[in-house]
Amino acid sequence: MRMGGTVRSPLRFGEDPLLWAAWLYYEEGMTQGDIATRMGVSRASVNAYLADARARGIVSIEIDPDRFRALSIAQSLQDHFNLSDCLVIPSEGGGSPLVDRLGAAGAQLLTRTAQSGDTIAVTWGRTVLSMANSVRTRGLQDLRIVQATGGTTAKTSWTPEACATTLADALGARCIPISAPAIVSSPDMRRLLLREPVIAGQMEVLAEANRIILGISSLRPESTIHSSGFFDAVSAQDYANEAVGSIAGRLISATGEVVDGPLEARTIGIDLDSLGRIPCRIGVAGGMDKVQAILAALRGRLVNVMVTDADTARAILASEGRDIDAPKRAGKPAAALPERVRVKKFLNRTQDAVSETIAGAVLAHEDLLAPIEGAPRALKAVTGPRPGKVGLVIGGGSGHEPGFFGYVGAGLADAVAIGNVFAAPPPDPILAATLAADGGAGVLHIFGNFSGDVMNFEMAAEMAAARGIPVRSVITTDDIASAPVETRAARRGVAGNVFVFKIAGAACDRMLPLERCVELANRATQRCFTMGIALEPGTSLEARRPSFRIGPEEMEIGVGVHGERGIASDRLVGADEATDLIVDRILSEMAPAEGDQVALLVNSLGSTPMMELYIINRRLRQRLRARGVMAHRTLIGHYYTSLDMAGMSITAMLLDDELASLLDHPCHSPAWHHA
Amino acid sequence: MHRRGFAPIIVDMQMFTRHDLTLLFRSLAARMDEEQDYLAELDGEIGDADHGVAMSVGFAAAAKALSEDEAAVPMLADGMMLAARALLNEIGATTGPLYASALMRAAQALGATTEIPLARLPEVIIAMSEGIALRGASKPGDKTMIDAWAPAAHAARAGLATDRDVAHILKDAATAAAEGAKATRAMMAVKGRAARLGPRSLGHLDPGAASAAALLDSMAQWVTVRSGPASS
Repeated sequence: MRMGGTVRSPLRFGEDPLLWAAWLYYEEGMTQGDIATRMGVSRASVNAYLADARARGIVSIEIDPDRFRALSIAQSLQDHFNLSDCLVIPSEGGGSPLVDRLGAAGAQLLTRTAQSGDTIAVTWGRTVLSMANSVRTRGLQDLRIVQATGGTTAKTSWTPEACATTLADALGARCIPISAPAIVSSPDMRRLLLREPVIAGQMEVLAEANRIILGISSLRPESTIHSSGFFDAVSAQDYANEAVGSIAGRLISATGEVVDGPLEARTIGIDLDSLGRIPCRIGVAGGMDKVQAILAALRGRLVNVMVTDADTARAILASEGRDIDAPKRAGKPAAALPERVRVKKFLNRTQDAVSETIAGAVLAHEDLLAPIEGAPRALKAVTGPRPGKVGLVIGGGSGHEPGFFGYVGAGLADAVAIGNVFAAPPPDPILAATLAADGGAGVLHIFGNFSGDVMNFEMAAEMAAARGIPVRSVITTDDIASAPVETRAARRGVAGNVFVFKIAGAACDRMLPLERCVELANRATQRCFTMGIALEPGTSLEARRPSFRIGPEEMEIGVGVHGERGIASDRLVGADEATDLIVDRILSEMAPAEGDQVALLVNSLGSTPMMELYIINRRLRQRLRARGVMAHRTLIGHYYTSLDMAGMSITAMLLDDELASLLDHPCHSPAWHHA
Repeated sequence: MHRRGFAPIIVDMQMFTRHDLTLLFRSLAARMDEEQDYLAELDGEIGDADHGVAMSVGFAAAAKALSEDEAAVPMLADGMMLAARALLNEIGATTGPLYASALMRAAQALGATTEIPLARLPEVIIAMSEGIALRGASKPGDKTMIDAWAPAAHAARAGLATDRDVAHILKDAATAAAEGAKATRAMMAVKGRAARLGPRSLGHLDPGAASAAALLDSMAQWVTVRSGPASS
């Protein structure tokens, strides 16, 4: 243990784990991992304790805002884009949304820098309104706030009018609106309106602005610009070829130049040339969807003071080819082992690997697998098809062995299509497998949710339909790390495939009709939850090198099954903590009731040995028992691999009586056999 | 050949023949072979490093099919279909269906004819872009090959509306594609395998857009050579 001093008795902290964790973290400077070990709880629990300690006021933290400006990332952004000031806030904060935190940061910056006599122009948007709401009065004199554009008709709360009046109220400033719509019906109308003395006077004030507060909008479909009412007059598609974002109601290109279009001559508000002459141009924006737009504004120097968050800033710099590493906790870096420059493999010619694998598999399992005439990349079950039985076809890329051909056999799939390494099979072998599996009752395709598999299976299904074979598809989406629960359909299908194949194979074997088989397979995929962690990258077969690098003290969380990076890097932890990381996520999504039954798969991604899988399984069962969840059946081993990646995944499928019975149905295939 | 009253003698309008289709695909295949390692490296950052091999193998198969069946398949549209099928069945993955759809759409644009004026080649780019957009259901900004193909098609359309010669139009399209590919660095992937990386895909070029830019560049170079030295 690397903690100095004497070990204090936990009793000193009474029964309060929050206080104990907070003391160890803030006063003793221990890492969350070490605290977890000390307290005998998971790291996730420590994390929660610390958050609670802050929420309950046990710990209060004050940070000098000026420090943020000294952060290396803010400095890099400032230097790279020659900004006069830059404020970068952390991307993750307790509870409050990024928009509000950016608003608060922008407000802080404005309160600090605004001076008596200023004329401050203000655009509109969620972030700008949030900023206006956070500004505190500081007793400045003779301030004027002027709308940077005309108004909109939108029923949102962040209109130009609202942003300007809110800010003016907060600063005790005079508010000068622009008494005209932002976009008018014709260039002539614009000329007429600008000649109106009231509007002309307001535009004169706008021309005198010495500061401007700018929201920056992306044109992505999810952007609020589309609900702002600003561009209702025109389809944003018209600009899709050039425009990447919008600022002050103008569309801008990737280099921050105005995108000329029919709107330009119909817009009432500050133009980009005049904007560029305002000495202090404060951009307040953040979010990964806005990176392109913010980058454009920075490149075009439309903004010279930037308020954003660390992730966005890092992404902007990365887009410019400047890599800023995520900040790491101080500490001695572990010595790295020498990197393998060439990974040794039992391979002949790399391009023959898949064919030779298939040849070897057919020989090893000749009682179960048979070739399909004329389709070297498809195999069928020796047992299937049976007349009147729904045919089950599975498939995907190679490199997942025993996936996919390992699940072809009695009570499982009737045929399989096999692609190149980590690449979806083309439609032809899928069609051949479909024809081979057809027993006259329709064919069910099951595959993981990857764009290649979806497209090729889709084309094959169309070809089969043209031959009079009805095909239904079930796309698996069990990888909970790959997308949030709200976009479950975007998740990839990984080791949970094994359970979905089993349920569907049993349903087909029981001669259920196609629609029932589809329904059961869908139910299985909805109830499957998988997450993986990798310790070492897989090898690129072509290059015989690791396909990327995982640091000596790091692991990749949320990896898939194609040797790729996960969704995040994290500090390397032991078996129990790694298991907990996954189990916490799975249980929170699955939300099992006490007494529920699950099927478990503790799967090696290739190089992780059985010993580690059993250790993980031990912790997995401890956690489930604590939750009152029973394991109905456990598979453990190499079931769905990612070539030679070192790592594992855990899959849990929440059972009901019907799924449990289908799971127990006999099956006999190369990778799964039970009587 | 005299066309109109006072016009001077004009060299025969240059045609794009079935043999040209073979030659074009051979140079595309050669370029993809050259780019293989670079594309694999790009794909290794955000995908699974197979894009280089897929493009190289796929276009080689298409070129081979086009050479072998040049006599048996004399129509341009049929030739494009042949290339599409060869590519599709050689590589599968995502690239296969997308480029197969692109070439099928181009086949429709070319029609049942053994040759077209070389000046119509920009239409092929437009058709390919449409085919990819339909199959992949991607929009510009999604960090996919469409971010190179859509600007290229836009440039091709703009070029056809003027009297620029075909070599210049294709060069414009290639430049637009290269810029489009470069812009993917600032995009977050929302489609394909890289989408699962979310924000981690930022800062990386999209390999599909990079290979598209290389294809369009190769096409432009081929046309420049094919149409001979610029006359003006």
